[in-house]
Amino acid sequence: MAAALEPINTNPTYADIDRGVHRIMDPPGLMFWAWIAFCAALVGIAAALWTRQIYVGLGVSGLRQPNMWAVYITNFVFWVGIAHSGTLISAILYLFRTRWRTAVYRLAETMTLFAVLTAGLFPLVHLGRVWNAYWLLPYPNERYLQPNFRSPLVWDAFAVSTYLTISATFLLMGLIPDVANARDAAKGWRRTFYAILSFGWRGTDEQWRHFQMMYLLLAGLATPLVISVHSVVSWDFAMAQLPGWHSTIFAPYFVAGAILSGVAMVLTLLIPMRRLLNLEELITPWHLDNLAKVVLLTSLIVSYSYITETFITWYSQDQYEVVTFHARYFGHYGPLFWLMVWGNCVFPLVLFSPRIRRSTVPLFIVTIFVNIGMWLERFVIIAGSLATNFNPSQWGIFHPSITEIMITVGSFAWFLMLFSLFARYLPIISMTELKEGIRWLRQSLRDDYYPSIK
Amino acid sequence: MSAEIELVGTFADEEGCVHGVEVLKRAGIAYRVFAPIPSEHLLHAIGRGLSPVRAIVLIGAITGVLTGVAITVGTSWEWNLIVGGKPVVSWPPFIIIMFELMILFGGLSAALSFFFFARMPQLDPIAGYSERFSADRFGIAVECDEADSARIEAMMREAGAEEIAHEDPRTVPVAH
Repeated sequence: MAAALEPINTNPTYADIDRGVHRIMDPPGLMFWAWIAFCAALVGIAAALWTRQIYVGLGVSGLRQPNMWAVYITNFVFWVGIAHSGTLISAILYLFRTRWRTAVYRLAETMTLFAVLTAGLFPLVHLGRVWNAYWLLPYPNERYLQPNFRSPLVWDAFAVSTYLTISATFLLMGLIPDVANARDAAKGWRRTFYAILSFGWRGTDEQWRHFQMMYLLLAGLATPLVISVHSVVSWDFAMAQLPGWHSTIFAPYFVAGAILSGVAMVLTLLIPMRRLLNLEELITPWHLDNLAKVVLLTSLIVSYSYITETFITWYSQDQYEVVTFHARYFGHYGPLFWLMVWGNCVFPLVLFSPRIRRSTVPLFIVTIFVNIGMWLERFVIIAGSLATNFNPSQWGIFHPSITEIMITVGSFAWFLMLFSLFARYLPIISMTELKEGIRWLRQSLRDDYYPSIK
Repeated sequence: MSAEIELVGTFADEEGCVHGVEVLKRAGIAYRVFAPIPSEHLLHAIGRGLSPVRAIVLIGAITGVLTGVAITVGTSWEWNLIVGGKPVVSWPPFIIIMFELMILFGGLSAALSFFFFARMPQLDPIAGYSERFSADRFGIAVECDEADSARIEAMMREAGAEEIAHEDPRTVPVAH
């Protein structure tokens, strides 16, 4: 196995870790700014199309009866799902003291924050009268009208905004010791910038004592939060009577899918970044291997959910459910469904091979298919179920408009732009935690991945 | 008594620093530790107990639940109509709002109480701090009289300090 891996330093020191992370934060070159400009241009196009949609009306989006939810809500659920692995890796694996998380959790947390920011835009984009969005909030108004707290959409507003606030807090708090490290190594305006963000951290025993308790409790609070947020998102559908949506397995099914898509997205971002920024010494085969195992595990859970969902439909013999599922597998959206099955269930099975889990190119290709598969899963559930509701006279097929397509592309550009800027100006790898677990990193590399090096 | 001198011992690793803390603690000498990593061993050796942040988080989380009760039950009573045959106060859906606000208030309490107890933002320099202590070295700072300095320096060297600096504590304000 060792022969297939690129040679790396299996005995890194604290100084090696600092050097590796500081190098990422070196002033970026022209190619980086060209990339940012490209992303900004796509965001600009999306913003222009949204402005037009607000001015002209939702008709330009392609949304019409019976498909009043389609690409925008698919994007919302997709991005909320992407956000989930950040909290999984940073909070849940922290509580379990999982040793390999240290090199990748900051990247996953950053991805979480920007994915929730992106997701939060879509309910607004989807609103016909976006200027009334504040009606979701319980504020004192002259008619004493308050939101209906029995509505899943109001639960969603609370869950997603709480998730955004807590994941931003978790990220910013965790950054403090690393930003202090960057402050001490930086000069000029960067030193001032990092000094502000580090809040005067000096790493005294008292600061660490309170920091560790705060971080543990934030992780403890974020763990049930992450489970609740995607459960609430799933209830947006499951609480409705619509065939294809009204199912009790939606909450665990959506949470497993969210973790699958999120961890796949971590790998999709990590693998090119590792190559472009020469991070092979910090993000090692040990980390890739373990992330790939999480993808494999959650892919199996998602596959099981698909089978269970089909079984429930068959066993119930509910005629509306049977028709909806038949249409899902063999109807207009059938090819998308089978592409989804390929991406989420079949192709990830190659990850049973340790050689593939540790090889960057095959792993990258698998994660791209999972990303596509998970987006399609949400689309098939949302648009496919609405297309064949209770009354055949209301059936209708949805086709996305150019407005929806470009706003979707713009959302990816917006996410990648924010993520890229963060990665080049703030520590995208946690130096303090990587140093804390350096003993395990060395041991694992030598024992499991590079046994020939002693 | 105001200290005349600040001794700052630099340690290359966590084990040496833990040893230094244990030696100073046994001798009853007050010290401050600087560490680049969150070290359980160090906190255990220092032995100051659990942070009070946890109590504030509990209070914050309970406040969140009560806020959730107030806005869901309160607003339902204010517009007292039966909708869709559901009770005016429908606990199962309201629990979701209470849960989310419990997490929100608890999480924000954790962050704010951390800043309060860790005395941050800390704009003034802290006596004994060196930039190496955020990178790859551990430090122990002791404020003492000139007369005691030789004895304490010997103790830190014996514990494994690779170098010991003498600073004047009056040149930098002492934070805590």
